[in-house]
Amino acid sequence: MSSSPRPVASLDSTLSALADPHRRRVVELLRAGPLKAGDLAREVGLSPPALSRHLRMLKHSGLVNESHPAFDARVRVYQLTPEPMIDLLRWLEQTEQLWTDQLAAFKAHLEGA
Amino acid sequence: MASRVLVSLRVRSGPERAFAVFTRDIGLWWRPNSLFAFTPRPPGTMAFEGEAGGRLVERLDNGNRFEVGRISDWEPGRFLAFDWRQASFAPGQSTRVEVSFEAIGDETRVTVTHTGWDQLPADHVARHGFPDMVFLRRHGEWWQGLLASFGSHV
Repeated sequence: MSSSPRPVASLDSTLSALADPHRRRVVELLRAGPLKAGDLAREVGLSPPALSRHLRMLKHSGLVNESHPAFDARVRVYQLTPEPMIDLLRWLEQTEQLWTDQLAAFKAHLEGA
Repeated sequence: MASRVLVSLRVRSGPERAFAVFTRDIGLWWRPNSLFAFTPRPPGTMAFEGEAGGRLVERLDNGNRFEVGRISDWEPGRFLAFDWRQASFAPGQSTRVEVSFEAIGDETRVTVTHTGWDQLPADHVARHGFPDMVFLRRHGEWWQGLLASFGSHV
């Protein structure tokens, strides 16, 4: 896991990946563990081609990664990659810290004046 | 932590004076923060130029000004809102800061709300149905749950 927040462009990609209800559903389903593309399509209620578009975007944003079981290279298994979400939460936390510090400095200035 | 960034504190002052000092003196009280640097250059001095329709700028030592954002709301003693953009943001990306001043007895509660980290390039995702920052707020628990779940995975 990275120790510093990602650049905003990457947060942007995390947020846009999560902007769609189907993709949020995919992420929720994968919280329980890795799933095959076919099982995901059935659970989400999308055709495999429609789901595949969403999976591409989730992979592109780095939220989800894809692997193949050793016994069958044709099967695609998806699982969550935790870093982007943690980075987003950390970024929001840093923004909160920024304003906490700024308001404290403002208060000190105002009340010291 | 809250998924929406909201920070509030009380100051010993009436709202009119709090607003005046917040805006007029921002160059005096603002503390540059490397993580939120507006430009890659050494930090300059912050200043509100004008009122509604004006802008918040950072005046750099080389004489240049970096425009942080336009001021959309300027209501002395009550409310202030402006856009917030760092040089590292993608083109067209901006966030929004709202500052409210609320009298509580002879003190003032100053509340900063920073939203828009979810702003997307228009071609990234269809904006239709994207519930803006509300998504983050409404899904606060969902996010917390995800984080907890990730914590146990990592």
